[in-house]
Amino acid sequence: MFHYLFPIGTMGIAPFIAWYNYRELKTGEQRYGQAARFWTKIFAVNFAVGVVTGIPMEFQFGTNWAAFSAKTGSVIGQPLMIEGVYAFFLESVFLGVLLYGRGRVSPGLYVTSAVAVWLGSWLSGYFIVDTDAWMQHPVGYVIGPHGRIELQSLATVLLSPFAGWQYAHVMAGAVETGGFIVAGVGAYYLLAKRDIEFGREFVRAGVIVALIASVLVIFPTGDRNGADITAYQPVKLAAMEGLFATRRGAPLAIIGMPNVAGHTLIDPIFVPDLLSFLAYGNARANVDGLTAYATELWPPVELTYYAYHVMVGLGTIFIAVAGVAALLLWRRRLFVTPLGLWALLLAMPFPYIANEAGWIVAEVGRQPWIVYGLMKTQSAASPNVVSGETIFTLIGFVGMYFLLGVLFLLLTLREIAIGPAGEPATAR
Amino acid sequence: MTSLIAFCLVGAMLSAYTLLDGYDLGAAAITPMLAKTRAERSAIVESIGPFWSGNEVWLVAAGGTLFALFPQAYAVSFSGFYLPFIVVLWLLMFRGIAIELRAHLPGDMWMDFWDVAFSLSSVLLILLFGVALGNLVRGLPLDPDGYFSGRFSSLLNPYASAVGVLAVVALAQHGLAYVGNSVAGALGERALRYNGRVWWFVLVAYLGVSAATIATHRGALASAPLAIVASALALAALVALRRFAAHSHAALTFRASTVFLAGLLVAAAATMYPYLIRPYPGSPGGLSIFAASPPSVTLALSVVVAAVGLVAVIAYSVFVRRRMSAKVVVHEETTA
Repeated sequence: MFHYLFPIGTMGIAPFIAWYNYRELKTGEQRYGQAARFWTKIFAVNFAVGVVTGIPMEFQFGTNWAAFSAKTGSVIGQPLMIEGVYAFFLESVFLGVLLYGRGRVSPGLYVTSAVAVWLGSWLSGYFIVDTDAWMQHPVGYVIGPHGRIELQSLATVLLSPFAGWQYAHVMAGAVETGGFIVAGVGAYYLLAKRDIEFGREFVRAGVIVALIASVLVIFPTGDRNGADITAYQPVKLAAMEGLFATRRGAPLAIIGMPNVAGHTLIDPIFVPDLLSFLAYGNARANVDGLTAYATELWPPVELTYYAYHVMVGLGTIFIAVAGVAALLLWRRRLFVTPLGLWALLLAMPFPYIANEAGWIVAEVGRQPWIVYGLMKTQSAASPNVVSGETIFTLIGFVGMYFLLGVLFLLLTLREIAIGPAGEPATAR
Repeated sequence: MTSLIAFCLVGAMLSAYTLLDGYDLGAAAITPMLAKTRAERSAIVESIGPFWSGNEVWLVAAGGTLFALFPQAYAVSFSGFYLPFIVVLWLLMFRGIAIELRAHLPGDMWMDFWDVAFSLSSVLLILLFGVALGNLVRGLPLDPDGYFSGRFSSLLNPYASAVGVLAVVALAQHGLAYVGNSVAGALGERALRYNGRVWWFVLVAYLGVSAATIATHRGALASAPLAIVASALALAALVALRRFAAHSHAALTFRASTVFLAGLLVAAAATMYPYLIRPYPGSPGGLSIFAASPPSVTLALSVVVAAVGLVAVIAYSVFVRRRMSAKVVVHEETTA
């Protein structure tokens, strides 16, 4: 959870770095180079924290989820191995060039490196989503001796039908976040009346990217990802929507509080038939409610429901904010409308919340399964690791992550305070 | 056959990790003794800065490959050594933060703090990796499922501790050779001079560990001629290294150090074979590479996929290193 905050940042910012480096190469204008360096520094802090929080995740499969790893490793190890070999190296090796190579390598190689870092971060995202997609909807396996799940088709696992739209949805979310970060930093410079030229450039680029991405997040990617959930995980869909009773022409709950014991939504606002339409493209379609399934197969309904509604609500607000900002930009009013700039500045944390809420829906909504339909989470943990050890290390990780969070904020804010025009020459 | 190739692949990746991250770990470990000023410390960091995270990826990728090719061994070893593994992870995290963030705030105290953290976590990591390798070569008490059944204090047995010491001195030598080859001027020359001093410690540790290995594994070694050949090669490289360092051949010194370490790693792998996790001599169990891997058809495909990817990785890593090979200079007065 905490780890994911940083890859969103790196995956969202990486395209901007590649773009500004490319612009510098094409136009020869120094300000693009300064912009690229500025975002590279922000990226580097993100990346450093992302890597150090990510390394434990690669190994926790073995330390904490030994039963899961032993049973499914021949399948789930594949995308993780390929991520390491095909994506991590690309990102790390060329980030070294990006951070230390300005002036040491040719401009062409430098831009190529920026693109390679971008490609590496996005590939890495794919293999992680693909791993998750397999846990959501396992494919390409056979049950071998000792009940072990064994790989049958590598291609099927890598091209999992669940992964495509989920990946597109996750990436659109990351780009949307990147857009709002760039626009928000730009808005800060304009409001603070400093680095005006960079402020305008960042707001312009950020708003356009945020608008396009925020639309893509919902349609088609969110819609199609939802259709996959409808097809493969109807219980999760029912929990997300707070639908208890199976019915034809199911309504969509815009707001309302689920009362799990009473099987109802409290104070709901419904749009009739809309859920049936969204899920099946037919307003009269039959949608299974939670009560169609045994209670022990329900995910934690409240958490799934609220996380989903937070995500969708924020996603809608993002379109509105980015849309209004883009309209003002087009009418050449945005740079002189403090209210609009403040909105962009204050919007910055919310894409992170929406992204995290999305992961809660995906992962909590999958419970009680760790691998959907195949393996329950409770039987996945390491049999020989006692809970005292887990608690001890958990406290250690919480402490370390807290420290990292503070350092990350401190250093990012400092880089923003120095600004793109400050500290010339040195890349770091 | 496929299992053997898979074993070699994981072994090669871990060896690549040792040789590559070894020089930046070693350079970090030796920094407090080698660097006289803050600017010299910064120059050492600058010489490893572009490469350390790419080097560390070898460990992460080897972990992922072990997971994919030998899921049983991955699950059993990582959960069996839960606490030591978590400590390694914390040290890796701490080290990563230290090198990345040392230059992000102005202030000498800030930098001094992270530099000490960087060196200390590097020394501890080398020691832990060495002790782990020592235990793997020596063999472990295992229960029938292959889980570790001994006490953690028994991991600090004399043999594994000796391998830990060998790891520290050998990687210190490797780090010195790297700095000698990558930093221009007085600092680089001093690093080569120090190589001559640390050499005696490496020689003593090498001879001690070799003697102990022969004493423990007399039977196993007889059936593993590769182990004998590889450690003889390591000794030859060690002898050559002393001459190269004395004649200030920086590039050759680094290569000799690389061959020395590679020889030791091949010897270690040959002694372990055919086990991934070797039982202590005379005790039952153990995970052999043949029992621990998935069916050979899928395994073969995974090995090919990984190998093709690694060839590309090696190609662009070498290319980038060539382009970034200019020697680092020490900037007095400035903070790099």
